[in-house]
Amino acid sequence: MRRKIAYPLVALSVTAGSSLAVASPALAHGYVSTPPSRQALCASGAVADCGPIQFEPQSVEGKKGLRSCDGGVAQWSVLSDESRNWPAKSVGNSVTFTWVLTARHVTADWEYFIEGTKVATFDGGNAQPDAVVSQTVDLSRFPGRHTVLAVWNIGDTANAFYNCVDLNIGGGSPSTAPTASAPTSPPTTAPSYPPTASSSSWAPGVSYKIDNVVTYQGKKYQCRQSHTSINSWEPSIYTLALWLPL
Amino acid sequence: MKRLLLVLLFLPSLAACGSAAPSPAATLSAQDVAEIQAGDKFNDTDVMFLQMLVYHQKQGLEMTATAASRAQSPDLKVLAQAVQATEKDELSMMKSWLTQWKRPVDVDTTKSLHADHGGLPATGPAEIKALKTVSAAAFDTAFLNLFLAHQHNAIEMAHLETTNGANEAVKAYAARVRESRQGEVQQMLRLMNG
Repeated sequence: MRRKIAYPLVALSVTAGSSLAVASPALAHGYVSTPPSRQALCASGAVADCGPIQFEPQSVEGKKGLRSCDGGVAQWSVLSDESRNWPAKSVGNSVTFTWVLTARHVTADWEYFIEGTKVATFDGGNAQPDAVVSQTVDLSRFPGRHTVLAVWNIGDTANAFYNCVDLNIGGGSPSTAPTASAPTSPPTTAPSYPPTASSSSWAPGVSYKIDNVVTYQGKKYQCRQSHTSINSWEPSIYTLALWLPL
Repeated sequence: MKRLLLVLLFLPSLAACGSAAPSPAATLSAQDVAEIQAGDKFNDTDVMFLQMLVYHQKQGLEMTATAASRAQSPDLKVLAQAVQATEKDELSMMKSWLTQWKRPVDVDTTKSLHADHGGLPATGPAEIKALKTVSAAAFDTAFLNLFLAHQHNAIEMAHLETTNGANEAVKAYAARVRESRQGEVQQMLRLMNG
């Protein structure tokens, strides 16, 4: 629906006997989870109202050679919207980028850019990468706030995956001497979950403890497994592992 | 439509336990979840989705069991235990549907499916095993990233079912998979990034 089929190499690679019409998210493949890419910030809810990218942060795929946060895909254009004031993660001068790959395609290479300047390349050797890939890049030449474009170039298609990662390099003090020390993490603002009440209406995003009692659709339930609630974990026959009817 | 179905599924069980049971804990178990009926109308996608997810969820249970004992962060431990508890019940339910349909429960569908679009799935035996041996200090990060990929895969499978499946109960379950795994992804990304 959102992918136009079209790149000759893709078409070639698919001829290896696919009769399966795979829905587009099944073709999705990977993104930078930490420091959080813009799509990761959308998926975690740290940045709201991102549209459908929040459901598939691994899908920012476009032709190789682009220098855009959205991979040239109109549907993901929010990722290029600088008016969003993307929060910048404070990091040291040496930054480890971690990619989460949901389908591990053979990899040509990985590239990192800052304002159009290539700052690092990691050869993929046209081999199948691990599900989780971490790469450490020295960014000491770029103190302060910058947007890093991280690119995963696929080995057997014409496509690449794009991530913009907003960073405050060197912990925000441009004069910091280059060190390889661990990034200083800023005081984290924990997601502000509503306080737990002993008996209240069930709601998502609440930290429930064993024996807490909630009301849901007029009935009372007791928590039997501590958890932070999410949509579809409301009391029902599907979630008897979490909630017992009273 | 979906809600109606859920309510219909839900009511008999509640009635059964509310009326007769002095101790709910004693009368409600995973068995009740396995009693959710899917009916006898289904297509190949329904079967494939369930088979894929059974395999996938067994891997998930192995991973969350490791996290339940090895996680350093208390919040991560709680998340792993909650995922473990819910997916254990889901697994019973899926197996009972496949069994009723006289379809194999244990099928390794990963190779053929993912070969079709040129990639391996996120998690294989080697990745899962590595979680047991990674250093304690590195465990949380290793687990979070791997399980993130794993649950993204579940969402992708669910999309296949909601798009091409035929059985209403399976499709409703797939929608729940999508919703719950998205919630888990949110929690995991927050745990990783503060």
